[in-house]
Amino acid sequence: MLRIENLKKVFGRTVALDGLNMTVEQGALYGFVGPNGAGKTTTIKTIIGLLAPDDGRVLVNGLDVSRERSRVMARIGYVPDAFGVYDNLKVSEYMEFFAACYGLTGLKARKRCQMLLGQVGLDDKEDFYVEGLSRGMKQRLCLARALIHNPPVLVMDEPTAGLDPRTRYEFKEILKELQGQGKTILISSHILPELAEICTDIGVVDQGRMVFEGSMDEILAQINVSSPLLISVSGSQQEALKILRSHPEVETISIREEDIVVGFSGDKKDEGALLQTLVEAGVKVYGFVREKGSLESVFMQITDHSGEEVVLIRED
Amino acid sequence: MKINPIYRQESRAGARSFKLPLIILGFNSVLAVVALLYMYSMITQVRLTAEIQYSSFLGLYTFVATVEFVLLLFIIPGLTAGSISGERERQTLELMLTTGMQAADIVVGKLVQGLSTIFLLIVSSFPILGLVFIYGGVTMLDVGRLLLCYVVTAVFLGSAGLFCSAVMRRSTMATVSAYSVMVILTAGTLMVNYLADGLAEMTSVGGEAAGWPLYLLLFNPAATFQTVLSRQMGSESGLGVLFPQLDRIAEMGAAGRYWLPVSMAAQLLLAAAFLWGAVRKTEPSVTRRRRR
Repeated sequence: MLRIENLKKVFGRTVALDGLNMTVEQGALYGFVGPNGAGKTTTIKTIIGLLAPDDGRVLVNGLDVSRERSRVMARIGYVPDAFGVYDNLKVSEYMEFFAACYGLTGLKARKRCQMLLGQVGLDDKEDFYVEGLSRGMKQRLCLARALIHNPPVLVMDEPTAGLDPRTRYEFKEILKELQGQGKTILISSHILPELAEICTDIGVVDQGRMVFEGSMDEILAQINVSSPLLISVSGSQQEALKILRSHPEVETISIREEDIVVGFSGDKKDEGALLQTLVEAGVKVYGFVREKGSLESVFMQITDHSGEEVVLIRED
Repeated sequence: MKINPIYRQESRAGARSFKLPLIILGFNSVLAVVALLYMYSMITQVRLTAEIQYSSFLGLYTFVATVEFVLLLFIIPGLTAGSISGERERQTLELMLTTGMQAADIVVGKLVQGLSTIFLLIVSSFPILGLVFIYGGVTMLDVGRLLLCYVVTAVFLGSAGLFCSAVMRRSTMATVSAYSVMVILTAGTLMVNYLADGLAEMTSVGGEAAGWPLYLLLFNPAATFQTVLSRQMGSESGLGVLFPQLDRIAEMGAAGRYWLPVSMAAQLLLAAAFLWGAVRKTEPSVTRRRRR
């Protein structure tokens, strides 16, 4: 549905995109994450045809954005990080204005606007001025606006930034509903736990390149591997630390209260072998478990540029 | 009939705000006060001298028309200068560009909205301008020519304001630029002519500069306005108060013979160039690059 090939964009001396590749399958809810300045907004603005790439191309349904912009725009709905509203218009007028921008007028436009306002829960606010809406309502209004021309692809740049938890939850439910209707959704967000809950696919961009891309299942498998081991021993920890430092698959060691937190790259079989080594060396192990991982931990790991070495840190 | 959505939306929002009624009230109040004071001074003169000089009633027309023109000069750039930059600041320009709308639709919608406000001002001033018909001396055709001059000025300066609005990211900077363009076009071209005359006087005894500086006045809406009025007052060579150079337009060949239509056409051409520039600065870089 949406494919980006070797996208490059340079602003002066800053390389914003450095050969970015991305594939979003039809019907996917794709979480697009990355640290600040990684190139997320530049990528999104290239997808919606506001920025011209220096090299590479963006294909939506097989159509090149640079060559067939107007046809592509008819297939994309865009929700920016800012609301982009006219405070002096009523909710219905705002919707009808954008409907007219898409060439929809009259009764057809009014019915479509009413239906969308109902879908985002703003049907009772039609005659309210946009100025009087809360942040959450304004964001839902923006979402309704992006759906006016019934696009198969929805591109959203940090849509839940600055919203309270309840509004974020409601927004998430609307996205799930839209995905259920068969829409392909690309969502950029910093709120990773939220993405982990709703996304079917994840792409992590860093320094203008895609550093990880895959389904949530793939990333969850990686989460299990990347989460640290929590080892609890009774008595002195010195012997355990000595064994752990010399183990080839141990990447980091830190102490958290009574537990030893071990960054361990091995799989379940290696975990068993490590436990056996500790027990055979006489270490009294009474706890040995993988910490429950999160998308955040994977994100931190993927976008960490500090270099990897075995270190001992005391966590207070 | 399909109405430009930008024009429709702006008209709706504009009709709700206090800004438009205040502008109309202020504009017509100034004109009315000027006209009534002028009439009062004429009547006082009649009382004192017991003589009625009907020619001085034409002065009422000249005076009111000039005040209206000066007011328009200051209102037009302000009406259009913040239009596109304002959308950019509100972050709605990007949204419009991701719809089926072209940059040209946005620019034209903004221009039409600005011009409709100006036309509203001009039409609302008809009763005051119509005072001159009480005494006669001015025909409907004269008033028609004057209105045409106002319309050309509105299109010209409105387009310049839109161009500044498309180029500048901030509305404040766009407004400052639009007023600067207006000052350059009116006072700037005049100053260049005065400077050229001064230099010619220094280099040759009693010499007057001719040639290219005079052509700059083709782009000066104030020079066009003065020519319209001076021809209506029956003097082909002009009033010559602000623009003594206009007395020499006969030296300019065809451009001089048809000064009014040529200057209006030149201003409309420059307006078209401003609009083209505004469209180019508004459209997304993808469209610009594809055209290249």
